[in-house]
Amino acid sequence: MNLDYLAKETARNLRRNLTLTLASVLTVAVSLSLLGVALLLQKGVNNATDRWENGVEFIIWVQPDIAENQRLLLETDLNNSPGISSYRYVSQEEALQEFNEDYFPDNPEITQLVTADVIPSSYRVVPAQLNAEAIEIVASSFEAKPGVKKVVRATDEISKIETATDVIRWVVLGAGIILLATGLLLILNTIRMAMFARRREIEVMKLVGATNWFILIPFMLEGTFQGLIGAALGTASVYGANRAFEEWLSSDNVLNILQSFAVSGGDIWEIGILLIAIGALVGSVGSAIAAYRFLDV
Amino acid sequence: MIKLEDVTKVYKGEVLALRDASCDIQRGEFVFLVGQSGSGKSTFLRMLNKEEEPDSGRIYIAGKEIGSLSKWRVPRMRRQIGSIFQDFKLLPNKTVSQNVAFALEVIGTPKQVILDQVPAILELVGLQEKTHRLPHELSGGEQQRVSIARAFVNRPLILLADEPTGNLDPGTSVEIMRLLERINETGTTVVMATHDRGIVDTMRRRVIELNEGEIVRDQARGVYE
Repeated sequence: MNLDYLAKETARNLRRNLTLTLASVLTVAVSLSLLGVALLLQKGVNNATDRWENGVEFIIWVQPDIAENQRLLLETDLNNSPGISSYRYVSQEEALQEFNEDYFPDNPEITQLVTADVIPSSYRVVPAQLNAEAIEIVASSFEAKPGVKKVVRATDEISKIETATDVIRWVVLGAGIILLATGLLLILNTIRMAMFARRREIEVMKLVGATNWFILIPFMLEGTFQGLIGAALGTASVYGANRAFEEWLSSDNVLNILQSFAVSGGDIWEIGILLIAIGALVGSVGSAIAAYRFLDV
Repeated sequence: MIKLEDVTKVYKGEVLALRDASCDIQRGEFVFLVGQSGSGKSTFLRMLNKEEEPDSGRIYIAGKEIGSLSKWRVPRMRRQIGSIFQDFKLLPNKTVSQNVAFALEVIGTPKQVILDQVPAILELVGLQEKTHRLPHELSGGEQQRVSIARAFVNRPLILLADEPTGNLDPGTSVEIMRLLERINETGTTVVMATHDRGIVDTMRRRVIELNEGEIVRDQARGVYE
């Protein structure tokens, strides 16, 4: 089988069924963008909750303009408090670095907008006792101390983020999967129509002894191509959505909690490759089922 | 070349298409298959091509039992068998030479061989003047010649013809039969199902008569009935 023949046949089939092909491609595109958004949310939540690792149960945010003696006083309190097992000081520079590395490694233009003096330093605290009541007593004891901007509990923040995103993520994921199934059925149908339109040729091919693969491959390529194009469009729109989100973030107050949801460029690539693989799979499976049933091989 | 042993085929559990049919057709023979519509002639031919499977019995093509042939080997077997039909089965959007070339392209014949073979076979069937015509621009007889060219272009061992003159007037039918005779003279075994009494009685070849799925007569140099 030569490549010339394959390219010619596949292109001709795609042209012949333009409206149905468009419907399949767009359905796959929309479903995969939804899937991509769900994955982005997942990554975002992971990023947002990253700072609560290694037993850190609450964070004391310090006023940006805290006086050095106030800060030392605060540290003495932390050292002397029996309810605290350990803590880590995160300076403004460190906080800025973490912010840049974690959330916008590929976007120097966003990074430039944020300087060390607008990000507060903080103490990440690991309490001695890990029951909610004990944590609450220790955490609230620091709330009123001079120079403290805010005390944020892990449970508060994580549960807030998780309840908010969980619902959205499941709805988006569900819609994405239903649409993906629709896309698969549409591709299946497109290929069936294409084969039906060419049933005379297929009949002659079988009659003169063309192998089943020879008959099938152009149709399977057509389906795979539809899935791939849909996936490419879906990936592009996920990428676009993420860019828009980043831009919106950079125009907003930097203390906005959503900041921590930003997803890195590497993650986007990962999601894109996954989406394209799913698209190709859906396309080839859909067309294989159609071809298998039509040819009865 | 073709051998049937006790072949039985029943459709949907009730309609009997062929019952205990046995016969042996030698290389280079020309055989007429006669009988009323529904007597099992088409089923007979379709089973030789493995388009249908017998319910019981064995079929041998060129010494090989085809019932046990795996599905991926069927295409290769079919390349040894040419088929022509009452309705020609030409591709309407392809020209005469494209129709013939198509049969070679889809079995992976090299381009240069196709360029050599197609004009040669079209000359053999007398269509060298019409290579760029579309099927609908041709007469019925000419269309049947194209389909014969397509069936014979890769020199199969066997040619199966299912009422090839069914849509043609008597004069044209005679021309088609001359062509089939010439093909038979090259050593190709021809099996032809027909209702055409005149042709069978004139040519006096072996006749196998089917009635309700049974072979009721197998006669050398036979007549229609």
